[in-house]
Amino acid sequence: MKTKKFNARIWACRIGAVLLLLAIAAVMLVIGRGHTVYFDNKTLETESGTYEAIRKITVNVGGERVAKLGAKERGMATTIGQSITFELVIQREKNGDEETVEYTLKLPYSMDGIIVNLPALLEGQPEEVYLSEFIPAPEPVTEEDEELPGEDEMDMVGDI
Amino acid sequence: MSEVKTKNKFADMIRSFGLPRLIIAGFLLLLFIAAPFTGVNLGTQITNTINRFSWNAVLVLAMVPMVHSGCGLNFGLPLGIISGLLGATISMEMGFSGPVSFIMAALIATPFALIFGSGYGTLLNKIKGGEMMIATYVGFSAVSVMCIMWLLLPYHSPNMVWGMAGKGLRTTISLEGYYDKALANFLQIRLGSLVIPTGSLLFFALLAFLMWAFLHTKTGTAMTAVGSNPTFARAAGINVDKIRMLSVVMSTWLAAIGILVYEQGFGFVQLYNAPFTMALPAVSAILIGGATVNKASITNVIIGTFLFQGIVTMTPTVMNAIIRMDMSEVIRIIVSNGMILYALTRKSEVTKR
Amino acid sequence: MKKNSFNLGEFLKNNSVPIMFIVICSICIPLAGYSPAYLLNEIVTRMGRNIFLILSLLIPIMAGMGLNFGMTLGAMAGEIALIFVADLQIWGIPGIVLAMIISIPFSVMLGLLCGKILNMAKGREMVTSYIISYFINGVYQLVVLYMMGALIPIAHSTIKLPRGYGIRNTVSLLSMRQSLDNALAIRVFGAKIPLLTFAIIALMCLGIIWFRRTKLGQDMRAVGQDMEVARDAGINVERTRLISIVISTVLAGFGMIIYLQNMGNMSTYSSHTQIGMFCIAALLVGGASVDKASIGNVFLGVILFHLMFIVAPNAGAKITGDSMIGEYFRVFVSYGVITLALVMYEVKKRRAKAGMGRQLAAEQQMEGKNED
Repeated sequence: MKTKKFNARIWACRIGAVLLLLAIAAVMLVIGRGHTVYFDNKTLETESGTYEAIRKITVNVGGERVAKLGAKERGMATTIGQSITFELVIQREKNGDEETVEYTLKLPYSMDGIIVNLPALLEGQPEEVYLSEFIPAPEPVTEEDEELPGEDEMDMVGDI
Repeated sequence: MSEVKTKNKFADMIRSFGLPRLIIAGFLLLLFIAAPFTGVNLGTQITNTINRFSWNAVLVLAMVPMVHSGCGLNFGLPLGIISGLLGATISMEMGFSGPVSFIMAALIATPFALIFGSGYGTLLNKIKGGEMMIATYVGFSAVSVMCIMWLLLPYHSPNMVWGMAGKGLRTTISLEGYYDKALANFLQIRLGSLVIPTGSLLFFALLAFLMWAFLHTKTGTAMTAVGSNPTFARAAGINVDKIRMLSVVMSTWLAAIGILVYEQGFGFVQLYNAPFTMALPAVSAILIGGATVNKASITNVIIGTFLFQGIVTMTPTVMNAIIRMDMSEVIRIIVSNGMILYALTRKSEVTKR
Repeated sequence: MKKNSFNLGEFLKNNSVPIMFIVICSICIPLAGYSPAYLLNEIVTRMGRNIFLILSLLIPIMAGMGLNFGMTLGAMAGEIALIFVADLQIWGIPGIVLAMIISIPFSVMLGLLCGKILNMAKGREMVTSYIISYFINGVYQLVVLYMMGALIPIAHSTIKLPRGYGIRNTVSLLSMRQSLDNALAIRVFGAKIPLLTFAIIALMCLGIIWFRRTKLGQDMRAVGQDMEVARDAGINVERTRLISIVISTVLAGFGMIIYLQNMGNMSTYSSHTQIGMFCIAALLVGGASVDKASIGNVFLGVILFHLMFIVAPNAGAKITGDSMIGEYFRVFVSYGVITLALVMYEVKKRRAKAGMGRQLAAEQQMEGKNED
């Protein structure tokens, strides 16, 4: 038997490789977090004041129009990463002038779905006011028994 | 080898019995003990276990000849099962009904089993040493060919074909009016909730006795010799290939009869993909009973089938009563395949050729 | 001239499976009636989807361990990683990269287990690895169906069963669906070519070619040729075999992730069950055998096998009027090819052994005569 000698260089390489992978994983966790952002053009009433819905807002993300919102409407966009940059084209009155504003918001990591209240955002309110978590409606509890797996599903009908 | 160090007879016994088997037997015992406390009717459970034993025992018995002749575990069991299915469907197509259809099914299945078995045996003689893997895939190939055949063969009996198309066999065919419980109802004993399918058990006992008797004939001992030491057997003037062929044909025929016995108990003929999954339970049952890759006895068959089927029937009900979770399927998969793995990795059993 | 015709016979014999498949495909393609653009598109998609998985089979073959039916273990590791990534809500390419990294510890663990067991079952690696895949499937079900959500925290109810623990039958991977394939895709003749996926595959091929030349790769080949000789030469046979299985399992895990990101959803309990069989069948269709397989076999195999797979249902329906026939036919062909390859390998091995025996006997006879 060969005596196993502690080879410092090999171990350094191994630990380095593991650390590198961990680092990449950490980076992926940061840059890959997916969010669904909901843009609300709704009147928001809070203790600090009331923010009236705006007649028409167009939301552009990355140069693409994701929503065209009248009052009381909600639009949606998906995004990957820690922040979202979007452009709002606002028309306060019919046939009035359009103004364009660009925002970059940091998205909280723990939320999957995020509601951004646009009127409050446009008023320059702090994050606590305009941002809230989107909680999906609990799905109706159905008594459907999902068919659980058997030993070896030999049905090979399907796609590969 | 084992006598050298073991002073303790008990330890020796455990060793020869094998730790995994002990664990499984203990587990089953525990289930039986726990059953009354969980409100499970023990009588029904024992009835179920005996019933399932009677369905499966012949299929497990089909492992014996091939293990004896050194062909390893018969993963190609589906081939024999297909012969049985052909017998069953042809017998029903020809209009036999009642218990007669069982006898006819067995008779019709026999030539198929002989033909398939000898083809399979010829193949296995060409590839000595790699039997188990190839057997598996021969079985699978045969099942998938038959999937096509069940659709194409000219069956017409309205009890068997799809109602709409008027052709192509159904995936499951009810045996009501045919040989449903043909054996089980023969001399059936009822003691409260305990029902014993005497006929099925007697039929198995008959086949098992014949197998035992065969293994003690000259050909039978020759088969064992071929399995334990082919070089020696050849030197002793035994035609190794012929004996192996015989064992494969026997295995295939027993599998054909075995599936018929299974069907009469279960009440349905299952076609198409069903035979795919039938080899592994039989293989693990005989291994649980104490067989190894090249050694198997009738006792192994009986103990193994009882333990395996006991676990299969007991775990769902008892586990469900205790932890409100039906983990039986998972336990069955792990136990049965773990047992096969254990047998495959035993060093002492690697046959030297 | 005589030698030439002999070579042709030998060529046909050695490549009988691919030739058979070319014949099957050339009969089925016109019957199925698909447009060439459709076929091209499908084949390219399936190449991107499957090649990486099949590449994972090459290394154990090199080490003489036969077709690694245990690649299913890697597939399961990949699926577990994807479940976690879906629960962490990491999307797109980062999600795929993260899944690959998460899959590594699982793959290594399973690979070590598989390799250890296979080292105990030398000479019957294939049937053992085949049973291991069933066994670990049971363990996988235990973990995914009972422990996830109960012992292992799973946050999102969209992937959990309504009962509160266990993962649903299908996990949606919509958030990373084809993100690898679409990243650098170009269109040629109406077929989408996923350049990034192909680049990864190309890199993998180069990696395998490079690996063959390393010390470890050479050792593996030596072990594959003759374990005893390798042992005498000072190679740690057990360790080399173990490493080959671990590498294969890890690659299979990556392959499964690539495969599933293309599919866009994952059948939690059945995606992996057939994957080993189809990959092995595809490799064998490409002309590989149990003891010899090259990258060329992988590519040819994927093209031929999947061509058959695509056209068989329609062609079967045209011939017999029942589309199920075609589906069953392609299943039969997959099994048949594996059976054929296994039989040819065993026959060859036996013939070689018998030849060696005869040679030995002849030599002994010669020596006996010389002594007289």
